Amino acid sequence: MTGPLSGVATVFRRELATVVRTPGYGVLAAGLLLVVVGLLAAGGGGATGFVPAVVDLLLPTEVLVPLVAVVLGYRALLSDAESGELAVIRTYPVRVGEYVVGVLLARTVALVAVVGVPYALVGGVVWLTAAPDTGIFATHTGVDSPVLFVRFLALVLLLGAAYVSLAAAVSALAASRRSAIALGVLALVAGVLGGDLALLRSLAAGASPTTIPEALALTPNGAFRGLVFEHVIGVAFAPEGEFVATGRAVAALVVWSLLGAVVSGAALAYGRRVDAVIEEIRSGFGG
Amino acid sequence: MPDGPVATLSGVTRTYGGVPVLESVSIGFEPGVTAVVGPNGSGKSTLLRVLVGATEPTAGEVTLPGATGPKPLGYLPQRVPFREGFTARETLAFYARLVGDDPDAALKRVGLGDAGDRRVEALSGGMRRLLGIAQSVLGDPSLVALDEPASGLDPGMRERAFRAAAERADADTAVVVCSHALDLVDEHADRVVLLRRGEIAVAGPLDRLLDEHGAADARELYRVVVGETSAPARDEGDGDGSDGSGSDGDETEPAVHVTGVSDR
Repeated sequence: MTGPLSGVATVFRRELATVVRTPGYGVLAAGLLLVVVGLLAAGGGGATGFVPAVVDLLLPTEVLVPLVAVVLGYRALLSDAESGELAVIRTYPVRVGEYVVGVLLARTVALVAVVGVPYALVGGVVWLTAAPDTGIFATHTGVDSPVLFVRFLALVLLLGAAYVSLAAAVSALAASRRSAIALGVLALVAGVLGGDLALLRSLAAGASPTTIPEALALTPNGAFRGLVFEHVIGVAFAPEGEFVATGRAVAALVVWSLLGAVVSGAALAYGRRVDAVIEEIRSGFGG
Repeated sequence: MPDGPVATLSGVTRTYGGVPVLESVSIGFEPGVTAVVGPNGSGKSTLLRVLVGATEPTAGEVTLPGATGPKPLGYLPQRVPFREGFTARETLAFYARLVGDDPDAALKRVGLGDAGDRRVEALSGGMRRLLGIAQSVLGDPSLVALDEPASGLDPGMRERAFRAAAERADADTAVVVCSHALDLVDEHADRVVLLRRGEIAVAGPLDRLLDEHGAADARELYRVVVGETSAPARDEGDGDGSDGSGSDGDETEPAVHVTGVSDR
């Protein structure tokens, strides 16, 4: 007999084992490490400290991390549905919510490994090799510090978690691997570019620039970028300013994560019913 | 033995793309072995999917008056769906944990006690089906639905698979098996549901149906009722020893009945 936590834990273990046994994810992590190291070497920021390194990495991270997260999540819920195993799992006393949470948690742990480890390694290299003394743990603004890089890493993982969750929602909505890829790419492009384009459009339409900090916080990328400026880059180089509404930005990233989970659960729980209703309507027109 | 059926379908209809695959199917499944037979595309797999809740009917309802316990249903799809990369024991352990069952005992029950450490993809088609049957009966469900458990297997293995399924049927447990293997239906089934073009052509105890239609066995009954001039398209076990996926064309939901094509 199992309780909800036991159901989540059982699904989590299976999903994590699947991730661990997928060699592609190791390759993905190694590839990400190479790219990040390459970016730092090309930008030169890593040689001078954490904040310059973050400046070098910020923009590429806004593309790389969502990309990795989508790769980790775009088939997370589709694979069981596609193979028919989900129909088997649903004959067991595990609710859709438990199943989704178990899968998402495992994929998020995978994200921590695939994204977190390369970024942490890069942070370690900066700590060891940067020319100025980067061993100071900042207690006030204006000082570069490993703490700032740790903050950056935490924000990177928060951004990644939001995209993993959204990618899982895509996988729950998709009918096939091909449609999952198409929807995943669409979500990626919309997430990476959509928010900024919408912001630019609203400014062009006459919106006040003073609304930027609040508007920026609404999208995952905007919230992430704003938080990095506010709590990493801004801390070292400028008095604390209003790059973004912090609470709103953090809440936005959490809400995007929850939204993905809720959409995933709803798609799995009600997808068959919706399909049947559509069939009923179709039959009605046909008859 | 329970007074009533373990599961009932009342006026169940299911369409795909507006084309009916099941039409107004009403039937109760009682304890014992019920074989669902019919031509390719007659709606057998869809009936099973509706029965276990994997497919929502477009009309009608499914009730499980006699299915009790934490896991009232067991299900094995036509295409055994387990993840590759896991051993047979790990695969069953995942499901067993959800119902507090013992995966090793389940493996032994179907004769796979020595194959627990083999990866799913390294198992033969027959062994995968046995693994699927072991999975379907974990948690002691009241209703076990098996979609072509003997499909694509050699004669020895198909008999073993069917027997493993039939052994689960008792006074409280209904085993519903979709099958083209009419010799095994003769041997193991208590009741038969014969589908034709998404509708029930005949249903009832096998002995009674044989008497009513003057048939010597299930194969002859099939010919008399379905009106075919030959045996079912391909008996389970006559295949190439693969896992039989896709042998029927009934598994994939959109494989709907098309008059004049699918039942020839």
